[in-house]
This record gives sequence, structure tokens and C-alpha cells, in this order.
Amino acid sequence: MIEFQNVSYAHSKGYGLNNLNIQIEDGDFTFLIGPTGSGKTTLMRLMYFDLYPDAGIVNINGFSSSNINPKLVSKARRKIGMVFQDYKLLEDRNLFENIALPLHVMGFSVRDIPDRVDEALELVGLQGKEKHLPHEMSGGEQQRACLARAIIKEPDLILADEPTGNLDPVASFELVRLLETIHETGTTILMASHNYNLIKGRGRPIYELKEGNIRVR
Amino acid sequence: MDKLFYLVVEGFKNIWRHKMTAITAVFSLFISLYIIGLIATAGSNSYKLIQYFRSKYKIEIFFKPEISNTEAIGLIHKIKKIDGVLNATIIEKEDAVRIFKDQFGEDVVDLLGYNPLPASAVVNLKRDMQKTLRVDPLIKKIRAINGIDEIRYQGNLIKKIERNYKRLIDKLPYISGVIILIATLIIYNTIKLSVYARRETVKTLQLIGATRMFVKLPFIFEGVFIGIIAVSLAFPALLLTVNLINYLITSFSPFSTKLVFDTFVYLWMFLLVFIISLLGSYRATSSFLK
Repeated sequence: MIEFQNVSYAHSKGYGLNNLNIQIEDGDFTFLIGPTGSGKTTLMRLMYFDLYPDAGIVNINGFSSSNINPKLVSKARRKIGMVFQDYKLLEDRNLFENIALPLHVMGFSVRDIPDRVDEALELVGLQGKEKHLPHEMSGGEQQRACLARAIIKEPDLILADEPTGNLDPVASFELVRLLETIHETGTTILMASHNYNLIKGRGRPIYELKEGNIRVR
Repeated sequence: MDKLFYLVVEGFKNIWRHKMTAITAVFSLFISLYIIGLIATAGSNSYKLIQYFRSKYKIEIFFKPEISNTEAIGLIHKIKKIDGVLNATIIEKEDAVRIFKDQFGEDVVDLLGYNPLPASAVVNLKRDMQKTLRVDPLIKKIRAINGIDEIRYQGNLIKKIERNYKRLIDKLPYISGVIILIATLIIYNTIKLSVYARRETVKTLQLIGATRMFVKLPFIFEGVFIGIIAVSLAFPALLLTVNLINYLITSFSPFSTKLVFDTFVYLWMFLLVFIISLLGSYRATSSFLK
């Protein structure tokens, strides 16, 4: 469960989030919409404990910003799959190595890793590209690779921060469809976007973030 | 176990992935280790070298003309008992005549009708003293023996050699210390720059849930591997240098001594590199991940 209780956060330049209250239940697929600079990324970073609120409490999957031990942050993040606008794939490693990385982090046996990677690649439609380096793939493929890296650890929650920001409309649509497929397995998903046309009419709750304040659209 | 194996392999792969950085680091470290090795070799051979020079020190003692050969032998026994004296060899009056004839081509007894040359002795000094050899107090003790007329020795030369030996022995630990510090800083900075250049990788690893140790270990293994490669290159280079110096000494100098490359120096260097690369890379990654 994602819960924000009166959360405020201010960046050094002044902008940030003002007294937010959000509650997203396990298994929900929720969109977060707002223009660039509205605080979507800040909100996401608070969720994976990259930032801590100035006021209020963030509760994610049983971990609370008010008392989380810094050593447990890595543990909390292992239960969260993250998809970034800029993919954050490791440029010096091929697709297989990038996708397998979370499994190595979690201490999976080397024998089990290839099967799980194949499974994840099949789900996102990237079979046969295991040896490709990130720069040898298109933006859409890199984003699907990023998604494969997020789902391979079977997370409780997927946070997708502007995952379609660098994609063309077709690739964007495919990615949202892919996220919906993953959601059907019971994974909680929160996807941030500034593209309202992409997410409207899907029957999912939409939170709108504007100048640090949130409302349900 | 799988995780540790993965991290070791990653450390090794990182060297391959970032070849230019690794080559620069290996080269810088190789130079430092080569200099450290040369200093260590010089240190381990300096004692051997000073022993060689000491074997060439010679003190000539001339007894008073009235001292007979038999009395001279008695005096030589006294000289041998002085601390610092290795041995003393008598040159009897008759031997002195022969030496005179060899050097000047004339028989002094035929010229003068009697032998005016005194008995003498050649004294060799002990070579195995770790400290510097002080020859003046020894000469004073010899001179105090009754029956000695004159003592000839290479006082200034001995003093110079012993003084330079002392300087070398005194300064070696400091020079080595500075070089070791430089080597540590090279490793530290190399790893720190390497971590900084891959800060996006570090950030991504942290975001997918890697612990600090998971992020650190490949960099630490990378640092250790770089150290091992550098020391593996430094060893044959040092061996080659020592052999070349020996070749030059035996071919182009009057010295018969040879430098010895102590394998203990290699083991010592290996251990040193392992420790400084381990600590240097640990410190570098820790300071970056604060």
C-alpha cells in the first residue's frame, strides 16, 4: 500500500509538494498526471526513499519514511520495480546483463537467472536481443528493457516515472498496454505522465499534481 | 556464494569494460612499484655492497726498525685482539726486501750492506658490522701498542664510504615511505575517479536495491586486480633491471660483486600492493558513497 500523510517537501529552489494526502491500495493501477515541474518525480523519489519528506509520513509496503533505517532502504527498493524516463540502463552491459542485475542484487542462483531473464524478455517482446548493448536498441526497446528489469524481481509495486516521455505515440501506447498486462498479475502500478491523452478513458484513477498540490481527476 | 562470485567477476569485467582507465592505473602503479622495488633491492644489496668495500679497506702497519720478526708476530697477536680487526698478516723484513726489489728493481741489502726495512703488517677489518665502521678509534688503539712506528690507511676514503652508507641506510625508510604513500594515492585516486566516472551506474545500482557493499565490492576487486597486474609486470621488469646492472658491473667495471634480487622483496611488494589496493579502493568508494 502507498500512503502519504500530510507530506510536504521543498527543494532548495523553492518548488516541491504541499501537504499531500494519497492512499493507493495494493493491486491498484493509478495514473499521476501533471505538467513538467509539477512535482511528479519528487513524489516518486519520496516513494523509493531517495528523498525524505520535510513534514508528514510516507508509508510504502510496510516501510515508513519516519523510521526507516538507512540500511533497510535497499531492502525496500527490492520490492519496488522502477521505470525511468531516461531508462537508466547500464551502457557498458548488454541487455541480458542489465535485466539480470536485480536478480544478482537479490542473490539469486546463477542457474535460475537465464530462465527468469528469458521469461521477462518474452513478456516485453525483446527475445533474441540479449547480446545487444543499450545504444544498439531503439528508445521503445530500451524502455521495454527497463520495464523487464523492473518486473524480473516480481515486485509488489511498479513506479513508472514518465516512461513514455521519450517514446513515439505507438511505442507509448504499447508500453501502457504492457503495464496493464503486468497489472493483471496483481502488481500495484503508479505511472506518472504529462500526456493526458495517453491515459484518459482507461477507467483507472488519475491523480493530478499541479504546483505541488494534488487532486483526484 | 553466487553473489560473491558475480561481484568478483564484475570487478574483473570492469577492467575490460574500462580498458583505458585500467591501463593508465596499471602503468602509474607499475612505475611506483618499480621504483619501490629498485629502492628495496638497493636496500637489500647495500649491506652486501658495503661488505665488498670493507673487504678492500687495508691498514699497513710498520714496526720500529729494532723490532725483530719474532717480536712483530707477538705484536700482531695483540693487534688481532682489537675489536674490529678481522685478521693481520705479517710482512717480515726479508719479505720487505723482496717487495722492494720487485717494485724498484734494486736489492736494498746489496746497495746498503744491511737491511734497513722494518717488519710490517697488513690489517684487514671486520666487514659484517651493521653499523658504520669507525676506523679512527681502531687506529688509535693500534698506535697505542708499543713498537709501532707508522700506520698508513685510506682514512678519508673509508670515512666517505661509511658516511655515504649511513646516509643511504638512514634515508631508505623515508624514501620508501614517500613512494608507498604515492602508490596508495595513485590507487585511491584511480578508483575514486573510476567510481565518479560511473556514478550513473552506482546510482542505478542503488535504485534497484543494491546494498552499499554490493556497489563497493566490484570496485574494490577491480582495484586489487589492477594492483596484482601492476605487481606482476613490475617483478620481471625489476629482475631484468638487476640482471642488466649485473651485466654492466661485470663487463665494464673492476668490481666483482653482483646484485642479488631477493624474492622476498617480490613477496613483500605483492603483500604491500594487496593491502594498499584493498584499503585505497575501499576508502575511495566509501567516500563517494557517503
